[in-house]
Amino acid sequence: MAEVKAITRKEEEVRQLIKAEIPWEPVGPTPMPEIPDLRSWDMRLLKTYKPWYAPFCDLCCLCTYGKCDLTENRRGACGLDIATQQARIILLACLMGCSAHAGHAGHILEFLIERHGPDKKIDMGTFIELEAPNIRTVTGLKPETLGDLKAVIEYVYKEITHLLDSTHMGQEGSYLDYESKALHASMLDHVGMEVADIAQIVGFNYPTSVAETPMIEMGWGAVDKSKPVILLVGHNPATSCTLIDYLRDNDLYDKVEVCGICCTALETTRYSDRAKIVGPLSRQLFFVRTGIADVILTDEQCIRTDIPIEASKAGSALIATLDKAMYGLEDATDWDTEEIVKQMVEDKKHFAILDPEKAAEVAAKVAIKIAPQKRKEWITEEEATELAKKCTNCDMCERVCPNLFSIGDGITEVAKGNFDLIKEQFNLCIGCGKCEEECPKQVPIFKIMQVAASKETWKIRAGRGPIMDTEIRNVGAPLTLGTIPGVIAFVGCSNYPDIEDVADMVDEFARRKYIIVLSGCAAMVAGMKKDADGKTVYEKYSPDFDAGGVVNVGSCVANSHISGAGIKIANIFASLPLRANYEVIADYILNRVGACGVAWGAMSQKAASIGTGCNRLGIPVILGPHSSKYRRLYLSRKEEDDWRVMDARKREIVDTGEPSPEHLAYVCETKEKAMVTIPKLCIRKNDTPQGRSIKLNHYISLYKKYMGGGLPEDLHLFVRRSADIPLVYKKEVMAHLKEIDWQPKEPVGLPTLIGTYPTKVPIDAVIH
Amino acid sequence: MSALIPFHRVNVLTGIKSARLIEDASEYADLIQKAKRPLLVLGPRLLEWALDGKLLIEYALEIAKAANIPICATAHVKGKLTELGVKPDSVYDAVEIVNALKDPDWKGVKRAGNHDLVIFFGIRSDLGEQSLSVLKHFAPHLKTMTLCKFYYPHANYSLPNFRKDEQWKAFLENLIDNLKKGE
Ligand code: SF4
Ligand code: SF4
Ligand code: SF4
Repeated sequence: MAEVKAITRKEEEVRQLIKAEIPWEPVGPTPMPEIPDLRSWDMRLLKTYKPWYAPFCDLCCLCTYGKCDLTENRRGACGLDIATQQARIILLACLMGCSAHAGHAGHILEFLIERHGPDKKIDMGTFIELEAPNIRTVTGLKPETLGDLKAVIEYVYKEITHLLDSTHMGQEGSYLDYESKALHASMLDHVGMEVADIAQIVGFNYPTSVAETPMIEMGWGAVDKSKPVILLVGHNPATSCTLIDYLRDNDLYDKVEVCGICCTALETTRYSDRAKIVGPLSRQLFFVRTGIADVILTDEQCIRTDIPIEASKAGSALIATLDKAMYGLEDATDWDTEEIVKQMVEDKKHFAILDPEKAAEVAAKVAIKIAPQKRKEWITEEEATELAKKCTNCDMCERVCPNLFSIGDGITEVAKGNFDLIKEQFNLCIGCGKCEEECPKQVPIFKIMQVAASKETWKIRAGRGPIMDTEIRNVGAPLTLGTIPGVIAFVGCSNYPDIEDVADMVDEFARRKYIIVLSGCAAMVAGMKKDADGKTVYEKYSPDFDAGGVVNVGSCVANSHISGAGIKIANIFASLPLRANYEVIADYILNRVGACGVAWGAMSQKAASIGTGCNRLGIPVILGPHSSKYRRLYLSRKEEDDWRVMDARKREIVDTGEPSPEHLAYVCETKEKAMVTIPKLCIRKNDTPQGRSIKLNHYISLYKKYMGGGLPEDLHLFVRRSADIPLVYKKEVMAHLKEIDWQPKEPVGLPTLIGTYPTKVPIDAVIH
Repeated sequence: MSALIPFHRVNVLTGIKSARLIEDASEYADLIQKAKRPLLVLGPRLLEWALDGKLLIEYALEIAKAANIPICATAHVKGKLTELGVKPDSVYDAVEIVNALKDPDWKGVKRAGNHDLVIFFGIRSDLGEQSLSVLKHFAPHLKTMTLCKFYYPHANYSLPNFRKDEQWKAFLENLIDNLKKGE
């Protein structure tokens, strides 16, 4: 860093955008980073955590040179090989995810700036001064107003363009570079999500700086079908919050039931604790087909693309409220309200209405008019038994089921009047509807499954947004020392092997005093199981970000608060500057913050970018078995890999031989195995002996519980000295270590990767 | 052609190179016996599936024993093996073992060199097919084989989609007999 470099015009432009003259922290090495700026960090990560590719398709069909067969080392007509093609598809998936959130952020920001003006101050409440950890760390800007967020989202848009450009045929030829780009896109995803959620918190006055948010009712049974029902599906709360306002202002709030599926439900319950959550995305088609909704309002992201068709079949009216999904409907945004209502009620037409106020008014009016005409009864067991008799148990449904089970067997049992199997199967069902589509006998599988759907209601705590600075201050030391054994984030979609898995995992680790954070569909399903006392995990555990707490941060975009919490630890606890200092912060989190993500039902492209964004920040992610179809993981080879770190205090490179964290993106086939893998991925090199022994205690005891006793095969790799061994297992572990001739090693004082690869960041930057 | 479509449609092949379908247990036994360093990778479905009341894991262990094949226990299979008094030769998840197998210089679970034939049994079929895809594309130095009752396009050798469990059972029993005979 000895040379003094002249500031280029471009750098000057960036400095203006991030208001470099405001001296809240010195500007770090990478303000508003572009594709090459964090590449060396990525390459260092990818050296240990090599991409593992499982091609889902052997061909490439992206240009008319193709289709190209890429098997057996063949290259496509453009020169591309199979690994690079996988990486390109991953980059595309991450870009879709990043764009979905950035698009959402841009839209909601416009909407709220329209409402409040660009100078509306960002105020996250008494206990949150560090309002935007991702934005500060990545861009170097400390946003003070809604207007400031615009500069941030425009930076994200610009990067998306360059990244998408690189996927055009005939350019990038290295899978590692495509991975670096995917990591870049996914880091930007967290920035976009943060913009969206900060804007929403400020613009809609969501609760913030509070842990104890209201309990929300969840489940089909929670929906009062005697009232007109409006169902919200999607992610963007512009129209749903406006609807709540409309109902309040017109004295209709008692008279109309508002419920939601997927993230709009989570958003709306942050705005009004009287709205209900029907369930995660996997319950969408079931609920739509019950016809309980009089009006369906769709906005964006995970919505079924055939929802207008399904709505018509169920006799529900539908309004598409966002340009991302207009379903070929007539755009009635500029029409007279009464005319739209008339056509929706009398002619049963669906419309696109892109003005939230108009859409809200129309929805309320239409719902009130059509509700009395609709029959809203659940199917009875007798009716189901009758319908099931058409089934010949031909297997066709099983063959198309993405969760690989035989709903035909369940239906056959129903025909005999036995509902046990179908009730079990309802928990396995991801609600895709492929089975019914395929059935040669037109058995109405979904209708029959209504008898299996519990009418039970559950309680979930409303999303609370960011973790408070005060909470971080309290847990910073125990977390980095290891005495709180880890932060586990349950996130992502509802493509579960079994819907109850998440509740089981949350319960296991909350009981063991890990800190649990949740978002999106995972936050919902965690609440969809009760213990023997009839309590969900939200009722059973404290809502604090502290040992044994269970924290729902909110919708998908609230995932930025989970990555944000890691960043906050680096800043508030370890006093590392954030400003444009991504590499240092990611290195800190990778080496010193025992955090692990679990995206058990990850399905969407957004989940790909959320997870990959965590990976660039040094947070490992465990995925469920379906996620092998994402076609890329980041795996190490355990002791065969390079686990050298720099001990920043001694300034020497140390070969720790310790694979912590062992993988960055990993698939477990079963819940039991995930239970054992989670505690391992929370181990970090800087754990104190006391912290390490607590972590190993959980690792060993969970191993014994789920793997039939004995000790983990790789335990010796995580024992540095005998002080690391948990007391309860001391004898057994010592005997084992002796048997395999284990040798003690010195723990590393201040582990960092900085200094082990070419980077502009000096080692001093990691010392606080 | 219908036999070439895997039972679970999510695993349908988009490509050209697909598994050789083998229905004859003696042919499977030959392939296994010709292998120098085979490996049997066991998945958790073996703990759920039974044929006439006998858990599939027991068939798997009989196969391992008959041909002296080392075992890799994936997911939480090890728990059941312990219960049955069997110590697996290695414990890795599906994605991990595949990751190791990709490396031609890997020493293998017996430390005697990488395996030349990897037999998958009891992994859920989507994860199984993805794991086989890794090896098909990135491990030209070894061959793969499956024992589940479904056709797996990404394997080198696969069973057909057995319509009836009796056919599958007969195949497995024949295979065990053939392997025993070949000893
Ligand atoms: S992009 Fe390349 S590999 Fe793909 S179809 Fe075109 S030429 Fe073939
Ligand atoms: S496809 Fe239809 S008839 Fe066949 S098993 Fe499934 S539900 Fe029964
Ligand atoms: S709706 Fe459920 S049972 Fe039917 S194919 Fe999809 S996951 Fe399987």
